[in-house]
Amino acid sequence: MEELFAPPAYEWKRLSPKYRSMQMLTNLVIPPALLTIAAVIVGVTSGKWWISGLIWAVAVVIVIISPPLVTRSWRSWGYVEREDDLYVTHGIMSRSLIAVPYGRMQLVEVESGPLERAFGLASVSLKTASPETGARIPGLTPEEATRLRDRLTELGEAHASGL
Amino acid sequence: MTASQPPQHTSPAEQMVSTTPEMQPPAAAQLKPTERPHPLTPLVRGWLILVAIAIGWGREIVTSASGDQFEPGGLAWFLPVIGVVVLLAAIAGLVTWYFTRFVIDDEELRVETGAIFKKSTKIPFERLQSVDIIQPLAARMVGLAELRLDAGNSTTKLRYLSRGKASRLRDYLLTRAHGQQASIRDLDQEAAASIFTDLGVADRPLVKVPPQRLIVSFLLSTEWLVPAAITIIIVVVTAALAALPYALGGLIPLLIGMLTLVWRRLIGMFNFTLAESPRGLRVTRGLTNLSSQSVPIDRIQGVKVGQPLLWKPLDWYRMDVDILGYGHEDGDNNESNASSVLLPVATRDEVALAIGRVLPGFDLDAIRLQPSPKRARWLRWFDFWTLRYGWDERTLITEHGWLTHVRDVVPHAKTQSLRIEQGPLQRLLRLADVHIHTPKGPVNAVAHQLDEQAARELALSQLDRARAARAAERQHRNVEAVRTDDHEGESELLAAFGIGRDQLLGSGGESEVFAIDHDRVLRLYRNSHEAPRQTAAQLQVLYQNWRGSDIGVELPLIIEMGERDGRLFTVDRRFSGRNFSGWLQHADVTQRRPALISFLDAAERVQHLPSPVPGFARLIGDGAPRQFGTLTELLSNMLAGPIQSSRDQLERDVPDVATVWNQLQSDLAQRAVAPALVHGDICPPNAYLSQGVQGPVVTGIADFSPHTVNADPLMDVAGALIFLELEPYADAAADAAWLEAVAVARHGPEIVRWIDVYRRFYGFYFSNAYEFDPTLYAWCLRQLGRSGGFQ
Repeated sequence: MEELFAPPAYEWKRLSPKYRSMQMLTNLVIPPALLTIAAVIVGVTSGKWWISGLIWAVAVVIVIISPPLVTRSWRSWGYVEREDDLYVTHGIMSRSLIAVPYGRMQLVEVESGPLERAFGLASVSLKTASPETGARIPGLTPEEATRLRDRLTELGEAHASGL
Repeated sequence: MTASQPPQHTSPAEQMVSTTPEMQPPAAAQLKPTERPHPLTPLVRGWLILVAIAIGWGREIVTSASGDQFEPGGLAWFLPVIGVVVLLAAIAGLVTWYFTRFVIDDEELRVETGAIFKKSTKIPFERLQSVDIIQPLAARMVGLAELRLDAGNSTTKLRYLSRGKASRLRDYLLTRAHGQQASIRDLDQEAAASIFTDLGVADRPLVKVPPQRLIVSFLLSTEWLVPAAITIIIVVVTAALAALPYALGGLIPLLIGMLTLVWRRLIGMFNFTLAESPRGLRVTRGLTNLSSQSVPIDRIQGVKVGQPLLWKPLDWYRMDVDILGYGHEDGDNNESNASSVLLPVATRDEVALAIGRVLPGFDLDAIRLQPSPKRARWLRWFDFWTLRYGWDERTLITEHGWLTHVRDVVPHAKTQSLRIEQGPLQRLLRLADVHIHTPKGPVNAVAHQLDEQAARELALSQLDRARAARAAERQHRNVEAVRTDDHEGESELLAAFGIGRDQLLGSGGESEVFAIDHDRVLRLYRNSHEAPRQTAAQLQVLYQNWRGSDIGVELPLIIEMGERDGRLFTVDRRFSGRNFSGWLQHADVTQRRPALISFLDAAERVQHLPSPVPGFARLIGDGAPRQFGTLTELLSNMLAGPIQSSRDQLERDVPDVATVWNQLQSDLAQRAVAPALVHGDICPPNAYLSQGVQGPVVTGIADFSPHTVNADPLMDVAGALIFLELEPYADAAADAAWLEAVAVARHGPEIVRWIDVYRRFYGFYFSNAYEFDPTLYAWCLRQLGRSGGFQ
């Protein structure tokens, strides 16, 4: 099974562990917090606290199942720069592997949202002439993101071909 | 060679250069006269807005009538409002028209718009991707048309011009867009599109879709039948329940949807014609709104051939293409947008014809397809038996669907990126999908439900194929770039003769030719071409010798020769008539065939030219004239140079090249013939055509060269046939076969064998073309790959 998504004769590069921490935060803190607020509001306004109990139960379930899922999701990400193309893989249930030839890259973007910046993370996305390409690598350290961008831009120019 | 240059020639040239300080003073650009669109434009635009309001309002009435009561009282209040809106629209149209100006001339293409915020759009000719003509019904009735210019991501519209002007400008702009020089003053005044078909005069229709077929195909298409069936079911069921009025709310949008479909598929595709124009393909269509759109072949990224279930017994297909920069998910569309439909409904042969234009040499049915494994039925129970994929050396095909059977074709060189996907159920069954990404458009190539191993193999090998194809394209482009290399020092030289680059008559591998006047041309040799001085000098002597001999064909003459800034030039006598190759592209078969006979006649007459030396000899080149004892010795000497540089390449590309070589040597040894003059490169680009009493005939043979020898006169007969195959028009191969039959009828069946021998000879002789001309090299490989050999 695994070999379907393995790059030939290469090791996957993995995402920064900080990406897991960020995902933990967003999955472990934010949904329970929102659910708690909802539960309190429901309890106070309707007085039916058993509904609030159910909502809290959902929050507890999320807290229990999130860590292993987040870890698996974080581990499922991988990318590798081959001679002529970049491979990106991810997904736990539905898995995918994208291969983008350097010669086809039109644009390499580095993005970093406020939350990502707080964790010292950035993501790199690749654009080709096809809207379906959608290759994005999240959870990179800013140094790695910049290195990857420069490297890919350089390789893109070296391999550039018309359409 | 410099010594032979007449001194009086340089002095006026220097004067000219020094007294012309700038190409053009900047002020001239401002004073250039600009044009407005046609004065009827505001009328047409006002009318279009009125129609738009009427349609929108009509729809409003219909939808509101379904729910509430219809109140006719509202109408009286509404009419003056409409009047005011239309009046305002007409004024706006007038203002827009007044402030719209454009310039299209030899230097630039510029459109200026805006009353308050001025906007000037200047489009470099080479950035133009397509130039389309749209004729909405209202404009069409008063003889106007819209010119739509696509460049990169922006579209500039010129509304409205008279139809004739629009089509002339289109032809001119498309010529310039292809990097060719043309002058707007030379435009053919006759080249106006007609009100019904909108084809240019130079366009040759490939496929016309008859109205009956369009209508029948529409009624049988899945897209039409499904909503039609739903409508009927709703009507019947609700009528039976006596609840029809309640269903109207749902039925009316459905009916509007169906009307839209009729509008797009029937009215919009009416009179659909796919034509071949000098600049690629052109699609014209429409019953009310006529549109004419060019399809730039090099921008096509993929092809989709679809067949709704009920078309199957009729063997009809629909063909769409991905065109870079057009990007409409759903390909059809009517008046406003460019369409990606190449054929709305066509027979198998017509599809093959169109595919042959889009992907030359590609046969849709020739690729062996592999089915997805049986276990795919658990996931794709509805169409698992239709899932197939396959590839050949140039393209990849995926196939799926039975309600509408779809085949997506993606050339390897156009593959963008790839994705392997596997969902949880697929993982259980060890299946995976492979998506091949192409730019936005109708083509969506997915190989569904492959075995894991096969999916991985397909993806990885596809990456390799795509890379190889890209590399090949890049090399091809580099070659093109080298051919059109720098024009350094050229403008001065041209100025010395008082001519400009727009006088360019043609260019070949060795030189470019410019018209000086009616009788003379300037031939400018390329820097890269080896030893042109010696060649030109030897040719000058040769041509001089032939001045007295009349073989009924015009021959070249070098009037003077010189050198300037390291560039060699000659002034040659100008041939009367026009180039045969250019003419062949547009001539129809009834004109072509008599002209080809006269071409063969001319080729046969070359042997009567006097040769400076007796016996077998090379007449141009190092140490020429060089004599040889036998034909084989001469021809082997000719082949030695090319073979030396192409040997490695040939060993790679021709499986048993040594056998072919030995066979050629032994065949040539059997040829017994008296030596005569041989041009060596009798091909349409080297021939000139004039109007004769009974139609156009070949009257001139140009460009003798290092290929010119004293050898077997049959070589030129063979050359005339076999080089014709290289002409870039559709029926070149058929014409070549036909001309071969004519030659065989003249000279007897035994020449078939010798034509075949000379095919292989020229296949070797031009094989060093792999470095600079892939088309010629491919031709060489075909010659060498022919069964060859005889006993």
